[in-house]
Amino acid sequence: MLKIYHWEPNANSGKPLLAATEKGVPFESVYIDMRKFEHHTPQYLAINPLGVIPAAMHDGMNLYESTAIMEYIDAAFDGPALRPREALGRWRMRWWMKFADEYYAPAVSMTAWSRNRSMGQHAGESRAEIEKRIAAIPQKERQVSWSKAIFGTFTDEEMADSERRVRHAARVVEAALSRGPWLAGDSYSLADMTMFCQSYGVPLREDSPVNDRNTPRTMEWLRTIAERPATQAAWALGRAWKTERLAHLRRPQ
Amino acid sequence: MLEIYHWEPNGASLVPLIVLHEKGQVFASHYVDWLRLEQLGAVPQPVLEVQENLEIEGPVLIDDGEQVCESFFMAEYLDERFAAPPLKPRTPQGAWRVQVWGRFLGERIAPAIATLGVHRFFVPAMRSRASELASAIERMAKPERREAWRAALTGEISAEILAESRRRAGSLIERIESALEGGRSWLVEDTYGLADIAAFSLAMSLPKLAPQLCGAERAGAMLRWIDRMRARPAVRAALASTRTGRPDEAFAPGPEHARWG
Repeated sequence: MLKIYHWEPNANSGKPLLAATEKGVPFESVYIDMRKFEHHTPQYLAINPLGVIPAAMHDGMNLYESTAIMEYIDAAFDGPALRPREALGRWRMRWWMKFADEYYAPAVSMTAWSRNRSMGQHAGESRAEIEKRIAAIPQKERQVSWSKAIFGTFTDEEMADSERRVRHAARVVEAALSRGPWLAGDSYSLADMTMFCQSYGVPLREDSPVNDRNTPRTMEWLRTIAERPATQAAWALGRAWKTERLAHLRRPQ
Repeated sequence: MLEIYHWEPNGASLVPLIVLHEKGQVFASHYVDWLRLEQLGAVPQPVLEVQENLEIEGPVLIDDGEQVCESFFMAEYLDERFAAPPLKPRTPQGAWRVQVWGRFLGERIAPAIATLGVHRFFVPAMRSRASELASAIERMAKPERREAWRAALTGEISAEILAESRRRAGSLIERIESALEGGRSWLVEDTYGLADIAAFSLAMSLPKLAPQLCGAERAGAMLRWIDRMRARPAVRAALASTRTGRPDEAFAPGPEHARWG
């Protein structure tokens, strides 16, 4: 059976969960708490040496890279098509997945950290203990990012630039949704799922660029995705303080 | 009808040129000199994806009027459009392997190779032209693009970023070596395809950019694989589109290094 190792259904962890629930493929959900750095424990590293979340296991293969896992799920299992059939639609889907992952998401994360610096820290944990956990992270780039995030060393310039990128990305997504209901063409695809996972929280921000006035099409698109049964099922795999994450997207009565 | 706007056959431009030749497709080539900023305004009515393309500078394919950009996705597009010969495994597992290569090369390696190439070749050639190009750069719509060009033209690249870029170049070599272990000829399932094409477009210049990493002991399998690639008729045809005779020295400001993890 397909196994998916994930944290909260948000950002990269949400992506394969949503692909699996949309595809209708049964899977075993293995929750890994990133706040406790459970993805850097020896037990987890034995399954996924890169120590990244999410990961999946199927037919004896360890899969990583959330975007590639989504395409794998669509290809390997029977169910509704999650990717356009024609080459141009698939190209567009992949372009938007990359834009979501590599442009929008890092800017969203960086500015989210500034709004919630306590993430990643346990109450009363000493600096030495935090540094020890960070040193256990296999990938150097992530060590740097986690250090900067936890110790608040992103510069004001970096933060301002990320805020600018969030605004720009919001405009770009709205422009894309002005061409049609979905990012890759006429049907709901992995591009929409990815963009949803990376950006669904943006309307909650103070002075958000994403709201009914600025980005009406994006709000409609977000609400439509949020109310899909598969989205609800994927988000139900979250725990504790994150389970009400979709509340802001319920349609006003 | 297929047309492609591209620069020297290196990096992002090289990938679709090889794929087009492998597929035996007839296409119109529009050579665009990126160092003269000829790419600005070259593509008529660029679509949103072309305007926002994260490659910063990259080729644009036009297929019966439809624009496609981003070199790895362009390669996947061409492979899906023109079935023969297949350049990607048809199994979900094989396709996953190829896409993991694509992500690794695009997100981690392309920025590093661009940094090393800009440092070594672009800066000495272009630094004196900074004021001449300043107003054209001001007219670039994307701040990231303007910033990449301005930074490259100052010639100032931090020692940290250079060291990180060399480290990444080393990790590309290691990954290629590991994939070719046991006498394999090609990177994925020992079958020639998109991973080889995309990796070659970046690794081709490593003997000049990082000779200290390309000795026979640690990079022997990679060097033999580079020779194997260069021997392919489609690769030779793609490289023959060079106007400088030295495509492996052609670098323009490249994609951003990942800003967060």
